[in-house]
Order: sequence, then C-alpha cells, then structure tokens
Amino acid sequence: MANFLYNVLFKRSSTFTVTILVGCFIFERGLDVITDKIFEQVNQGKLWKHIKHQYET
Amino acid sequence: MNVVAKSTSLAPLLKSTTVISNGLQPVIGTGVVLKSKIVAKPGVSRLVSESLQETLITGSLRVSSGIGASLLATQRRLAHTDVQWPDFTDYRHNAVKDPTTKSKESAASRKSFTYIVTATTGVTTLYGVKTIVHDLVSSLSASADVLALAKIEVKLENIPEGKNAVFKWRGKPLFVRHRTQKEIDKEAQVSVSSLRDPQTDADRVKKSEWLVVLGVCTHLGCVPIANAGDFGGYYCPCHGSHYDASGRIRKGPAPLNLEVPPHEFVEGDILIVG
Repeated sequence: MANFLYNVLFKRSSTFTVTILVGCFIFERGLDVITDKIFEQVNQGKLWKHIKHQYET
Repeated sequence: MNVVAKSTSLAPLLKSTTVISNGLQPVIGTGVVLKSKIVAKPGVSRLVSESLQETLITGSLRVSSGIGASLLATQRRLAHTDVQWPDFTDYRHNAVKDPTTKSKESAASRKSFTYIVTATTGVTTLYGVKTIVHDLVSSLSASADVLALAKIEVKLENIPEGKNAVFKWRGKPLFVRHRTQKEIDKEAQVSVSSLRDPQTDADRVKKSEWLVVLGVCTHLGCVPIANAGDFGGYYCPCHGSHYDASGRIRKGPAPLNLEVPPHEFVEGDILIVG
C-alpha cells in the first residue's frame, strides 16, 4: 500500500499535484454530503421535504 | 624566513570586497591596493564529518612570506586516532541502519508519512482557498432577486401634465415630472454654453415629456421644491439654488445638475428606475 502510494502518487511532483487536486474535489463532495446529513438530522421534521406529504397530494 | 601555508579554497570566502569594472572606468587607479587579507580560521572541534572536513587542507597550497607572517602561522597536525564520533543510531530509521543496504529500497516506507501529511494539508488549504474565492466572486455579482429590490416601478398615467411626483428610490427622493410642451420647448432652446454644468436637455431625458431626476440638491443635499424658483423648475430652500425644468443648475451655489438615475420606459406607461 505504502509502496503503491509512494511510487504512483507521491514520487513525482506532477502526480503529487494531481493527487492534491483530485483529493480536494473528493474532500469537498464528502464534506458537503456529511454536513447536509447532519443539518437534516438536527432539523428533523422542520424542513419542507419532511412535511411535504401533509400539503401535497 | 617565515612561511605561511594556507588553503586557497578559503580565499573567496575571506575576501571583504570585490571590485567589478563597469566598462567605462578602469578599476585600477584609485590609489588603494586591494589585496586579500590572510586570516587564519579559528580551531574547529572535530565532532561530525562536516567539521572534520573543514579542518582538512584542500586545494592547492599558497605560500607567502613577510613580517606579519609569523603571527598568522598555523599548522595542523591531524591525529585521526583520537577523533570522537557521536552515535546517531537512535535517530536513524531502522531501514537505513545497515550501511550496506540501498536507501532507495526503503524510500516508500520512510517518506510516505511525510508526503501524506503534506497532501492532507494541501487538500484542506486548497478547499479553504476555493471557498473564500468562490464567496468573494459570488458576492460581486448580485443575483436577480437582490437586484429587483433595488428597482421601483412607476405608473405614469397617474401623474397629470405639469405636475411633479415624488417617490422613494434607494432611500432617496425621486422626482418624476410630467412636462408641458411649453417647458420642453423652453429647455430645448437654452444655449448650452451659458450653463454652469453644460448638458443638453436631450442628454438628460429619454422621453421629452418625462423628466426623471433625484431630488437631492447637488450643493449640500437638501430636497428642492418643485415648480418654484426663477426658472420654473426646482428651487432649493436651504441656500437658494435654482434649477430649470430639466433639472439643470441655473443660479445659486450648487455646482452640478440634478442627477439623472438609470431608468427605462416599458410598455403600458410604466417607468422602471434602477
């Protein structure tokens, strides 16, 4: 695992930069999804999507 | 005769000044003879390989003689048998403790952790910078709902001819004046060269029967009175500025014409300001 990471991703500056950029993209998506989940959990029953079925047929 | 033996490899380091010709004037002829001083280095405690190398005499030897030479005389006798070496084994990675192994083979296990820490820092920093830049740029271009709040609509059919209506626009009074044909003709004939702030009437109005100006006197910001003053337009009661029916300053202390805000006429006699 360490060998693979080092030889493929870290050894060259070019691949290291690409690793950081791709990692940033994944990190942002992940953070957005997780924080949205937490927000919905805290506001359970208050959001439109939770009470939509009462008003729409 | 005294003899000083000295390493010439130290000479560029010991030189205090370097003289470079600029091509126009010769370097020599200043009356000062530039000669590098011979300075003996202080003794080095030989603990690690770097300091041991410093004490070695390398390069070609230079021999000089003179009166002061005996004061600077140094001689180094290197007894290698009593050199003390510190032990760095505790600080070394296990993979490179054996001097016969190749360090390249263990590079991944030694360097991966540092690279992972660097990459993690880079990822979080890049994310933060991206968020800040995104917020800044998005605040520069206001969205349509924000822009809509900064506009007002005026129904023009409610304003009779010859009357001046006042509205509130972005916290300031806005004058919308329905001008009579007589006023339009009068303002069109005014010679621009006689004005303090030269502007033709056609530059200030989009439809000649409607004058749209901000009701803020350009002198000190009072609200002028409509249909008053010597020129039949506006009169500022604070310090007596007279504006004509095109909102141009004609008499009094104000320096500029009344400001015309961006406005447009849409179908069905509706004026949109903003």
